[in-house]
Amino acid sequence: MKKLLIRIGIVAVLLVAMNWIYSKWFYERDLQAHSDMVNLPRQVVADSCRIVYLGESSNRTYGWAESDQRKISDMVWVYFPNVRCGDMTKDASHAEIYYNMLKLIPKESSVETVVVTMNLRSFDAGWIYSRLETALQKQLVLLKDYPPLLNRFLLAFKAYPIRSEKEWDKLVNKHWRTDPMPPDFKWKSTYEWDMSFPWPEEQADNDLMLLPHHYVKAYAFQICDDNPRVKDFDAIVKLCQKRGWNLIFNLLPENVDKANELVGQDLVSLMQLNRDYLVERYGGQEGVTVVDNLSLVRDVNFIDQNWTTEHYYAEGRQLVAYQVAQALKLLYLADYQEITSSYQ
Amino acid sequence: MVFNSIAFVVFLPIVVLLFYLLPHKWRWLMLLAASCVFYMWFVPKYILILLVTIVIDYSAGILMEKHENEPQKKKTFFVISIVSTLLVLFIFKYLGFVNDNLVWLCQKLGLDVRTSVNIILPIGLSFHTFQSMSYVIEVYRGHQKAERHFGYYALYVMFFPQLVTGPIERPGNLLRQLHEHKDFRYENISKGMRLILFGLFIKMVVADHLGTYVDEVYAHPAEYNSWSVMLAMVFYSFQIYCDFFGYSTIALGSAKLMGFNISDNFRTPYLSKNIGEFWHRWHISLSTWFRDYVYIPLGGSRVKFGRWAFNIMVVFVLSGIWHGAAWTFLFWGFAHGLLHIVEKALKQHVPRLEPKSKWLSVSLDVLRIAKTFVLVTLFWVMFRATDFANMRDIFVAAVSNFGGGQSLAVKPEVWLYLGLFILSDLLLFNDRFDTWCEGKPMIVRWLVYALLIFLIIACSSVNSFPFIYFQF
Repeated sequence: MKKLLIRIGIVAVLLVAMNWIYSKWFYERDLQAHSDMVNLPRQVVADSCRIVYLGESSNRTYGWAESDQRKISDMVWVYFPNVRCGDMTKDASHAEIYYNMLKLIPKESSVETVVVTMNLRSFDAGWIYSRLETALQKQLVLLKDYPPLLNRFLLAFKAYPIRSEKEWDKLVNKHWRTDPMPPDFKWKSTYEWDMSFPWPEEQADNDLMLLPHHYVKAYAFQICDDNPRVKDFDAIVKLCQKRGWNLIFNLLPENVDKANELVGQDLVSLMQLNRDYLVERYGGQEGVTVVDNLSLVRDVNFIDQNWTTEHYYAEGRQLVAYQVAQALKLLYLADYQEITSSYQ
Repeated sequence: MVFNSIAFVVFLPIVVLLFYLLPHKWRWLMLLAASCVFYMWFVPKYILILLVTIVIDYSAGILMEKHENEPQKKKTFFVISIVSTLLVLFIFKYLGFVNDNLVWLCQKLGLDVRTSVNIILPIGLSFHTFQSMSYVIEVYRGHQKAERHFGYYALYVMFFPQLVTGPIERPGNLLRQLHEHKDFRYENISKGMRLILFGLFIKMVVADHLGTYVDEVYAHPAEYNSWSVMLAMVFYSFQIYCDFFGYSTIALGSAKLMGFNISDNFRTPYLSKNIGEFWHRWHISLSTWFRDYVYIPLGGSRVKFGRWAFNIMVVFVLSGIWHGAAWTFLFWGFAHGLLHIVEKALKQHVPRLEPKSKWLSVSLDVLRIAKTFVLVTLFWVMFRATDFANMRDIFVAAVSNFGGGQSLAVKPEVWLYLGLFILSDLLLFNDRFDTWCEGKPMIVRWLVYALLIFLIIACSSVNSFPFIYFQF
C-alpha cells in the first residue's frame, strides 16, 4: 500500500509540473487551433469596450448586391459615437456559446452592458441538436474553468458530444415527435403538423413546396422551463448580475409574414406564445431588458426566401439596430445621438 | 464505448475496483454486466444479436458433449451452430454486398431489379462470432470441455476488453482464466497501466495525427503530387498499425489490471522479412484462427505445392472478405495470398544468398524488410480505398504527378511522434512494452511514463478517428 501511495504522490507531482509546462508552452497554441473564439472576448477587453453585442450570422449577413454591408451591431454603434463598443459574432452560435464567451470577460474589464442575440429558432430541436453542435461543443472544452492540462485531457478524451450527422438528425426527429405542444393545440407534435402538408414528389426540384415544412419544423414548438436554451439564458442573466453588467436581450425578427402565408395563424400564434414566454421570463428580471423585435421586419427584407433564417437586408438590420439603440438609450442617454436613417 | 473516451476513463477504474472488492463467485456477474454496458454504449439493441449467437453456441457445446458417443448427432449440432453463427454474420455483414452485386448482375443482363438492403453492421460482429465459433470447434474436437455455466460462457464471448476488436481469444486461454480466482497484485496493475499508456500513445498521438493526412490525400489524390501520395500511403501503413496495435495493447492492459492475460496480437510486423513472417506478426489472433480452423483442416503445408497454393489462397481470400464486404478487401486478401505463394516458389527455386560477412547479412535483411514493407504498404491502398476507382486514383496519382499538385504539409511534431513510435517498435522487437519497462532503472521508467502521459494529454490529435477495425 505504501508503495502505491508513493507512486500516486509521484504522479500528482508530475501532473502539477506537466500542467505548468502545458500552460506555459502549449495552451495558447491549442486555444488558437481549437478554440479560436477565445479571441473575441480578448479583443473586446483589449479595446476597452463598454458595450458588447453578441450575435451569430444574423449580425454579419448582408445581401450580395447591397452597398450597405454593415453589421447590425455597427448600425447600433452609430447612435453612440462616443462610447467604445464591440461585437462578438460567431456563426451558428447560441446562448451556451454566448455564456462561455461572456465568462471570459473579467469583471475588472470596462464592459458595462451586454447585448445578447435571442433567436427564437435557437430554442427549437433542429438547432439544439444541430449537426454543428459537435464542432461547437468541441470548441468549448478548452475554455472550461479547469486547469489547462485538465481541459486538454478532456479534449483528448473527447469529453463533448460526438455524434455523426445521422445521429444528430435522429435526435432532432425524436424531439420533433415527442416534444410537447401547448395543451388543446390542434397538433400533438411538430412531426404530426409537418406531415399534414403535402410533400413534393421530387424534393430537390421544389424548394417552395418544402418551405411550409421548414417553417413548421423551425417554429412549431413550445418553449418550456427545461429547454436547454432557457437554462443557458438563465445562466447569462446570473453571470451578468454577478458581474454588474446591464443585459439586453435582442429578440430577433422572424419572418412572421411568410409563416402566416405558408402555414397560417396557428403557427404565428405559437411564435407569439413563445415570444411572450421569453419576454415575461426575462423582461421582469433586474438589470435585464428584452427588446421584442419578433414582428418588426417584413417579408421583403428577409434575404433568404426559401429557408428560415434571420438574415436581413440593410433596411431590416437598421430596424433592429434602431430598436436596440432605443433600449441602450435608456442606459446611455447622454451619449445617445439621434440619426436620420435613409431606411426610416 | 471506445477506449480513448472519457466514458472509458471513468468506467475502467470502477470495474477494476468492483472486481477486487467482490468475492470471486460474483465477479463473473459484474464483469458480464460491465461488458453489456460497454457494448450497449454503441447501439443497445445489437446486444440481442450477441445474445442469439451466445445461446446457440452455448447450447451446441453442451449438446455436442452430451452426444459425445453419437458422432452423427454431435456433428449435426456442430453444423447447426456453425451455420447459424455464419448466418448471423452473413445477414448483417454480407447480405447488402451480395444483394448489390446481384442487382448489378441482373441489370447487366437487362433485368429491372432494384432491391436494396440497408443493414447497419453491429460493431465487432466479425470478432465475437469468430471467438464464439472457436469455442464450438474446440468442443467438437474434444479439446475443450463444454461450459455449463451460461454466465461464464456469455462472459467469454463478451469480455469487454477484447469484445469489439479482439484479440480473438480461444476458450483454452480466456474461458479457463475467467474461472480462476484472481488476487490483487500490484504487478498486474503496474503492467496493465503501462500497456494502457503505451496503447493510448500510439493510437491517440501517432495514429490519429497520421489519419488527418491520410484522409486528406485519399479524399482528393489528384490534388497532390506523387511524393505526397506516396507519403500518405506510408502514413496509412503506420496509421492502421498504430490504430489496431494501440487498441489491442489497451485491451491487453485493461484485462491485465484484473489479472487476465489475453493474447498478443502484434509483434513488430513491419520488421518482417517476407509476407509469411508478416502474417505471423500481424493480427496474430486472426492469422492463427485461420491457420487452426481453415488452413490445417484443408491440408496445411503437408501437401503438394499446387494444393498448398490453393489452401493459402482460400485462407487469404477468406481473411480479406472477413475484413469487409467489398471487392477491395477480397482483392487485398488475394494479393497477399499471391505474394505469399510467389515468395515460397522463389524460395524453392532460387538459391538463397548466404553472405559470409555479418554486415552483408544485416544489409540483406534490411533490404528484405524494406521490400516487405513496400509491398504491404502498396496492398494497404486496396484496404483503405473506398472502391476500385479510389484505388486506381491513388495508384495513378502516386506515379504520374511528380511535377505538379500540392505537397502534403506535415507538421514537424508529427514526424517526431512517428519517429518515437518507430524507435519504440525497434526497441520492442519481439518484446512488449510492459516487460521492456521491467528491466529499466526506476528513473528511466518514470521518465518514459511522464513523457507518455504528457504526449497523450497535450499532444494527441483532437480529431475524432474511430478505431479502424471497429468497422469489421
